[in-house]
Amino acid sequence: MSEKIVISPTSRQEGHAELVMEVDDAGIVTKGRYFSITPVRGLEKIVTGKAPEMAPVIAQRICGVCPIPHTLASVEAMDDSLDIEVPKAGQLLRELTLAAHTVNSHAIHHFLIATDFVPENLFATAVESVSEIRKNMQYVVDMVAGEGIHPSDIRIGGMAKNISELARKKLYSRLKALVPKVNDHVDLMAGLIADKDLPKGLGVHDQPIMASDKIYGKRDFFDLDRFTEIMPESWYDDADIAKRACSTIPLYDGINVEVGPRARAAKFGGFSEKGVVAQHMARAIEMKTYLSRAIAILDELDTSAPVYADHDPRGTNKLGIGVIEGPRGTDIHMAQVADGKTQYYSALVPTTWNIPTMGPATEGFHYDYGPHVIRAYDPCLSCATHVMVVDDEDKSVIKNDMVRL
Amino acid sequence: MVLGTYKEAISARATDKAIQNVAQDGGIVTALLSYALEEKIIEGAVVAGPGEEEWKPEPLVAMTPEELISAAGTKYTFSPNVWMLKEAVRQYGLEKVGTVGIPCQLMGIRKMQSYPFGTRFIADKLALIVGIFCMENFPRASLETFVDEKMNSSLESVEKMDIGMGKFIVNTQDDELNIPLKETHGYEQAGCNVCKDYTAELADVSTGSVGSPAGWSTVLTRTDTGASIFKDAVDAGIIETKSMDDVKPGLGLLEKLSTSKKDKSQKEIDKRRDMGLPVPF
Repeated sequence: MSEKIVISPTSRQEGHAELVMEVDDAGIVTKGRYFSITPVRGLEKIVTGKAPEMAPVIAQRICGVCPIPHTLASVEAMDDSLDIEVPKAGQLLRELTLAAHTVNSHAIHHFLIATDFVPENLFATAVESVSEIRKNMQYVVDMVAGEGIHPSDIRIGGMAKNISELARKKLYSRLKALVPKVNDHVDLMAGLIADKDLPKGLGVHDQPIMASDKIYGKRDFFDLDRFTEIMPESWYDDADIAKRACSTIPLYDGINVEVGPRARAAKFGGFSEKGVVAQHMARAIEMKTYLSRAIAILDELDTSAPVYADHDPRGTNKLGIGVIEGPRGTDIHMAQVADGKTQYYSALVPTTWNIPTMGPATEGFHYDYGPHVIRAYDPCLSCATHVMVVDDEDKSVIKNDMVRL
Repeated sequence: MVLGTYKEAISARATDKAIQNVAQDGGIVTALLSYALEEKIIEGAVVAGPGEEEWKPEPLVAMTPEELISAAGTKYTFSPNVWMLKEAVRQYGLEKVGTVGIPCQLMGIRKMQSYPFGTRFIADKLALIVGIFCMENFPRASLETFVDEKMNSSLESVEKMDIGMGKFIVNTQDDELNIPLKETHGYEQAGCNVCKDYTAELADVSTGSVGSPAGWSTVLTRTDTGASIFKDAVDAGIIETKSMDDVKPGLGLLEKLSTSKKDKSQKEIDKRRDMGLPVPF
């Protein structure tokens, strides 16, 4: 006898998603399916036909959790389409912005999983250090990119402004002072996650990992020929789910993959662990790696160097690709500019890659652990949604003719 | 109150000769911001610095006394200092910012402090706001008209501008030229006609020439912050003072001019309102 366990919406993540698990008599998941039910954003259509500089401004508004990676992926795609070479200092400031944002974002995730791992007597300590880390990292983004949430000063061609020497020294000394705090926090969280005694092998799957870079993102990595995108209808073998799933299924070499901190650690750091605990550990360790990269950038940054490249915004219709390693994985934006207008825009975002992998990763364990598996990916749905529900009655998308956004 | 809320009115000037030499009048703005900078009350100040063209000031984030001195002197045309505050707090990394502005700019700044939409973490970083007395402000094209057309000289050769004794006066290298102030009417920014603030009533400290003798400025200390920084600067010998009662023409003239700006603007406001036009006050 198989039974269906449905968690809808899944909690402590950004956006709305549903986890449907078929379980056997012992409650063990035999088939897991995870899919987005978040309403579509449609930003790729909004930016089409507009001036290229509109794209990063709109792209960052896709969601308040990942505005920095989306802005960066957007300007990187535009830089590529317009054949712009960003000055070194501008590139360093972009990387600094992303490094600071990632530490901040991972800290938020620790807040989200705190109730899973942190005992009551340590709760205040953990939350306090999350807040302290976030405050400092957001300060960096404020200074360097203009705004912490919707960065106004990351521009096509580089950055609007270099920071002053005073700002560089301030940020450098503040981040240096933050190192012990981050180390303690990471040790605390890593210790608590290890002590939790989650079943061995939870969340382990055999899908390949995908990552473009250890820290920032490399556009050369992404080979368009190896990429395919299919509709949820042909992926989910459950007709009811297939018609309600709002994200397309991206495949690399024809199969679904895992992106994110563990993928980066495996590809660039020789990290061989798999599963829920490994994902949490890789994420925690990244906080240290990214913080030390941010400090190194502030050490080497020339505050008098140019950060912006003048360019011709008219474009030649070249397909530009921007690849950014966001906190949750590889974020790819593609853009074509011709006649001074965006002709084509597409965002292929981190959680979209993970969605087809996450459901099956719950299989083989009791369904009680399903949410643990999901949260280990730190899913963030709103940018992942690319298919629009057109029938409000039964929440279905029109098969085959579905409106793709 | 016709001069707004203030704690003390006093006549003052900077004691530093380097400031006196470049100052419009008493050099109070430069002296006060320099003092605040040296005492680390502020880390930098947004001031009207020299622009690429003559008499076209551009906002400058001054972080040294030398930079402050480069911005000394009245420009009579607009420098969008408020616009620069965000960059001063962000890329310049200032956490304690000073600035100087004319009454309308201070209205913007105070409004921003009350409703910080789009100015997140900026309003709370303002540590000292100096206001300057202002009857009206001219677009740069108006200044060009006065000097190039009405005075048959050129803006490039002008070293100092001033308004006084009913005249708009410019000093070139070897000449002093002037036109009657009434010839400048109609050339001011449109908003000046409905502005009722002459003495920068929203500043921490307001200052301007009117009421004090040449080379001195009238100072109105308004807020606790403003009064205490001003007092400390006086105690430190950066600024010397005289009682308003002992100077000519005295506070009476300031009150008279402030009243006349309020009355004149109220008439214009009433007139615009009668015509069904929107007015900001």
